[in-house]
Amino acid sequence: MLPVIGARLLDAVPTVLLVLTLVFIALRLLPGDPALVALGDYATAEQLALFREQMGLNAPLWQQYFTFIWDMLTLDFGQSLIDRTPVLRLLADNLPYTIELTLVATGMGLLVGIPLGVVAAVNRNKLPDAGVRVFSLVGYAIPDFYLGALLLIVFALTLGWFPINGGGTGFVDRMYHVFLPAVTLAMVKTAFLGRLTRTSLLEVLGKDYIRTARAKGARENRVIYRHGLRNALLPITTGLGLSLLATLSGSVAIELVFNRPGIGEVLISAIAKRDYPVIQAGVVVFAFFVVLINLLVDLAYIVVDPRIRVK
Amino acid sequence: MKLSRRTFLTHVSTIAAAAAMGAPIAHAKDEALSIALAARSPTSINPQQPGMTGGDNWAIHQVFDTLVKSDEGTFAIRPEDFRPSLAESWESSEDAKTWTYKLRRGVQFHKGYGEMTADDVVFTFARHLDPKIVTNQKPLYSNVEAVKAVDPHTVQFTLKRPDPLFNGSVVTTLAASILCRKAFEEKGKDFTMSPVGTGPYQVESVSPSEGIQLTAFPDHFAGPAVTKTIHVRFIADTTARTLAFASGQVDMIEGVRSPGWLPSMRQRSASTIFDATAPGSFNLLHLNLTRPPLNDIRVRQAIRHAINSDQIAAAFAGLAVPMVGVIAPQFAGAVKKADLPPELQYNYDPKKAKALLAEAGHPNGVTIPCFTSQREDYAAIMLMLQEQLRAVGINLDLKIIDHATMHSENRKDRNSVALYSSSYPPVPTQPFLQLLSAAADVKADGSGAENYSHYGVAIPGVDALIEKAQDEPDFNRRIALIQDIEKQVLRDLPLLGIDTLSYVIARNPRVNIGFPVKSGYAYWRLNKAKRV
Repeated sequence: MLPVIGARLLDAVPTVLLVLTLVFIALRLLPGDPALVALGDYATAEQLALFREQMGLNAPLWQQYFTFIWDMLTLDFGQSLIDRTPVLRLLADNLPYTIELTLVATGMGLLVGIPLGVVAAVNRNKLPDAGVRVFSLVGYAIPDFYLGALLLIVFALTLGWFPINGGGTGFVDRMYHVFLPAVTLAMVKTAFLGRLTRTSLLEVLGKDYIRTARAKGARENRVIYRHGLRNALLPITTGLGLSLLATLSGSVAIELVFNRPGIGEVLISAIAKRDYPVIQAGVVVFAFFVVLINLLVDLAYIVVDPRIRVK
Repeated sequence: MKLSRRTFLTHVSTIAAAAAMGAPIAHAKDEALSIALAARSPTSINPQQPGMTGGDNWAIHQVFDTLVKSDEGTFAIRPEDFRPSLAESWESSEDAKTWTYKLRRGVQFHKGYGEMTADDVVFTFARHLDPKIVTNQKPLYSNVEAVKAVDPHTVQFTLKRPDPLFNGSVVTTLAASILCRKAFEEKGKDFTMSPVGTGPYQVESVSPSEGIQLTAFPDHFAGPAVTKTIHVRFIADTTARTLAFASGQVDMIEGVRSPGWLPSMRQRSASTIFDATAPGSFNLLHLNLTRPPLNDIRVRQAIRHAINSDQIAAAFAGLAVPMVGVIAPQFAGAVKKADLPPELQYNYDPKKAKALLAEAGHPNGVTIPCFTSQREDYAAIMLMLQEQLRAVGINLDLKIIDHATMHSENRKDRNSVALYSSSYPPVPTQPFLQLLSAAADVKADGSGAENYSHYGVAIPGVDALIEKAQDEPDFNRRIALIQDIEKQVLRDLPLLGIDTLSYVIARNPRVNIGFPVKSGYAYWRLNKAKRV
């Protein structure tokens, strides 16, 4: 397994370098001046020049680029241009909330989506199947920011069952705060995984070895879960990886709707203020997660399908 | 294990109910008050840090004191309006260039950092005077020549030019809040989130999730605050903030400065109290005098006559006040329409606007390209101006762009009609120096400042009058000079006053803050606030 991990990590190097370069170029092409944002209305030309000098914004672009790449490679994320907060502290303060939201939403999606897909596949063209298909369509169709606002109004404002905003402190309080945002993100995930599980399982259930198992007198539950679902997991694993990435990026909007702390909220704020080090670090973190999730999916293939291990 | 719908809902309801019961109990124990501001997260609680948000300012104003202050809920506009705070008394030399402050004895810093002395005051201002340190609102301190401790309880400022309103232009600004030298040097960068001041509240905790928690400082020189705990929350999204208020989870929220917000809030709950400062921000319209057709005074007069400031103010439902000149009508130095000669009153008159436009050679109208910010107040005002000007044949080809981009593009002299919104201290020379002096002329390479009209460069301006006003030590005579400047600007029309727009906080009627909010900066003290 180690060679696989090594190879995948080596594959990721050019991807990450390309992402870093694109982010650097895009930010420098973007109009807007972080010095003006930081110093505000009263800024004089001298103050702006001093600020740019102190923040290294006056150095030639190539020099800024190589400094940036070196800093990223040595995990020196620097400090915010606007308020001088160390970027590492910003990430450490906010990233756990985003990871928490992504994991809880994914867990909900898995726990609800896969059983729904199984129920639909087993009851093909019957009422439960139609119900799951309608649910999947609705799940896809509702924009998450709209669903989030709706859940907020019904369950937080009207019924008062959940907090309207914030991230919470302590495990129980944090789970309480993450519930509604996670349900919002889990909706589309459940629809996606349910649909994928149904399609994948239906394909497997039509295979010869399933017919053989049934002919040998295996119980239906064993046929479905042991022989069917296990073999249907490969495409579901791929789908889960894609879904995790979509949840991670989708968390940006949900963090705003529910006013949760998180990396998405930090990024949006940094983009508005042209806070280059924070934006760069945020994008690096997202790129890291893309690489990590792809690696985990590759490793999951090996666990799920022994044939890949043999190859 | 099969997870039935019923089991799932039962588990979720149990967890939700348990957590929901916990939160209000904790809330009720100390009767904490909470305020949610329109910002994403705490940036800094160091008053000298650049780049802070309105939310940070609220916390800073509770944690720190200044040498003198205005009465709560008001702006001190004249020299006699200021009240003692960390300074018990003060005096100015006859030429208004030397200001001496006697400090209150026995004022304690938070967390056992000892007594505040002249050394702390000198340390605070010396940072603003050091050209190598980037500090918040630094240009406001450019008139200060030196600051020194005469003795441990006396501080003396020497100014480059006279300033009869030194208490307003410098001493009461937020960035002039007195720092604790010992804590600042000991804590270094950590001071930004763990500050030490003398104010009625001290910082208990700061977190991106929960915002800033403040607890009453029992040894405050004016006595301890009424409410023990204040939560300063950060909720940038308007809907999330409004929902938090509507559900009662926060006691006060920062309002939205766009048409329709106030009526919709009143519709939701008629008992909500709105605390609004007047003037709030000045909304001024720069006309670029180097670009045709705006270089023609008749076109500028046509624009002035076509703008109906009353109509724009009405759209903001009580949050806006029409402006006559550049100074807000609530401040000393502002001119009143009734006191002006008829030709400078510029009453709303579309017919006259059309006639002036035709006289200037544009009988079929003109098109002027311009841009503004997507921020709600900018976009709303510019869209209303666009409609009003369209009615007389002036077509603003308006682009709405990101806020940071607008500022940077304005600073590169790329706009023809630039709306500018800013709050000013009640110091009448400040807007003219910043927006209309030749020294502040905007430059295409970005090295200039905020005179987007090129007034004083494209055509003769008011620099001589500004100089004269700055050299005048008598407040009343200075105000008379400011009114002369106002009239000259009205003659030349490089910059049009549109409306002032109040800063507003929606307050739950269960909270009494202890005084009415009439004017002042966009933050006020909560040490008298309590649940009723």
